[in-house]
Amino acid sequence: MSAGSSSWLARRRASGRKALLATLILLAAVASAFPLVWMVLSSLKTPAESMQVPPVWIPHTPSIEAYEKVSGVVNVGRSMWNSLVIASITTAGVLVTSMMAGYAFAKYHFPGRSLLFSVLIATMFLPPIVTLIPLYRLVGSIGLNASLAGIIVPNLANAFGIFLMRQFIAGVPDDLIDAARMDGASELLILFKIVAPSVAPAIAALALFAFVYHWNSYLWPLTVLQGNADAYPIVISLSRLLSYNRGAVNTGLVMAGATLAVLPPLILFVFLQRFFVDSIVGSAIKG
Amino acid sequence: MIQRYRASAGIMLAPAVTLIGIFILLPMLLTVWLSFQDWSTQTSFSSASFIGLDNFREIFGPTSVGRDFTGALTNTAIYTALSVALILPLSVAFGLMVYQHDVAGGTALRTVLFSTYMVPMIAVALVWSKLYSPSEGPLNQMLGLIGVGPQPFLSSPRSALISIVFLNVWQQVGYFTVLAIAGLTQIPGSLYEAAKLDGANRFEQFRFITLPLMRRTLLFSAVIAIINAVQVFEPVALITQGGPVGSTNVLTYHIHRVGIERAQGGLGSAMAVMLMLSLIVVVCALFALANRKDQE
Repeated sequence: MSAGSSSWLARRRASGRKALLATLILLAAVASAFPLVWMVLSSLKTPAESMQVPPVWIPHTPSIEAYEKVSGVVNVGRSMWNSLVIASITTAGVLVTSMMAGYAFAKYHFPGRSLLFSVLIATMFLPPIVTLIPLYRLVGSIGLNASLAGIIVPNLANAFGIFLMRQFIAGVPDDLIDAARMDGASELLILFKIVAPSVAPAIAALALFAFVYHWNSYLWPLTVLQGNADAYPIVISLSRLLSYNRGAVNTGLVMAGATLAVLPPLILFVFLQRFFVDSIVGSAIKG
Repeated sequence: MIQRYRASAGIMLAPAVTLIGIFILLPMLLTVWLSFQDWSTQTSFSSASFIGLDNFREIFGPTSVGRDFTGALTNTAIYTALSVALILPLSVAFGLMVYQHDVAGGTALRTVLFSTYMVPMIAVALVWSKLYSPSEGPLNQMLGLIGVGPQPFLSSPRSALISIVFLNVWQQVGYFTVLAIAGLTQIPGSLYEAAKLDGANRFEQFRFITLPLMRRTLLFSAVIAIINAVQVFEPVALITQGGPVGSTNVLTYHIHRVGIERAQGGLGSAMAVMLMLSLIVVVCALFALANRKDQE
């Protein structure tokens, strides 16, 4: 009898705990999602709805009027194209340089290997502001300032990519590589035809990281472009919208702009989040 | 054979090493060198002239240059401390919520939390400057619903910096939650079984198993959170421009303003060197502390 009632109590307490946990999870998710949900909802409101008191949370008749107006304030097409060019070319460069260097660190023995690797990895922890001033001058002196090339070229290699690739390429069996060498394949051919396919998920993760990072990057493009608006990526163009943020009348316009900037990285994330999460976990545990 | 692979190693490493050498390592050395020079960012490096420690004397001196810099250093220290103090406990709490099997919705929570990490800062700035708006912002409207009066958020020097901290925590906590989950998966389930048999309750299990075994993960998270926090630039540049009355003037923003906008390259480099040194000291102290705890 007493055993029965105590297990009943334990079950009661367990279900109470579950209810509490479910509530906490729901609260956390709602709090985290709220700003972005509010952004999308507001972008679909008409100016009249934005100004209504008490506020309307969900637009009655969703309208894309605000999205059409953004193009009148910001050159959306041009800026999106610039962002796409910057993020794609940089990502391609990062992939090639990281795979090559990662392969060398994982599969070759050469004098000074661990020292060179440590020096490169140390740059991963260096805040970009520490090198910004001389880098700005350096890029200017080779004639690349105020251009897309100036944004792209200094970012074509990074320590995180090399680190990630070395971690994963180290797991590729040496036998596989030796067999290809016996067949007379060149080292570059081995890397891109044999090693690359066996670490494809890591390459996908690095590509996504690099693309999103350089799509979102702000400080360096702002610095190097020196106000050349033709080369502005979308994240810089949209800063014009901040001056529309006074008063409620333009809320829809501002939020439509914000939504446009969020969409490309968020779409990539939704489809490929497994790679993101796995590679963060991989780099944290193996590191 | 060995000789052949040494040549291959050179070819494989050349692109990355050259790029990182020219665009990261060389500028880093130049920053250190420039910190001892009188140099305008608009002139060539050769026009720099050696002035010893004058730049450092000036940024710690009694003039407005010194006051602005030490103010920015203090703001960055406060900002960093608050960020780490919020991010670490939240990431563990969220990590525990995601990494449990009793209640559904954990994975969905991870997706929602991590998705904010993908959002470009310009969008974060546009959205949050509106959320924080004192008159028509949704945050004050919601506070009004529960009977709390309107908060000034970004418009008061007392609350502007912490408001920027909240915005950054919101954006980044998902990344640290994923790190925390990685740490949690490393803890053997058998430890909890053993503790349960010994009659340990959930709090005791957390206190004596989870936390101690998460120490390495938390150390890693703390280092990354600190390095991220000293880099905060966009919300300040976009929303507050360092104000009101300098309360959100953080180092990255200040160095950019001095070294790029005002072209005082020598002064800006001295500030960057101080930032780097402070970061090294803090991270070393953190590791020393963790090692001492390990030995206990």
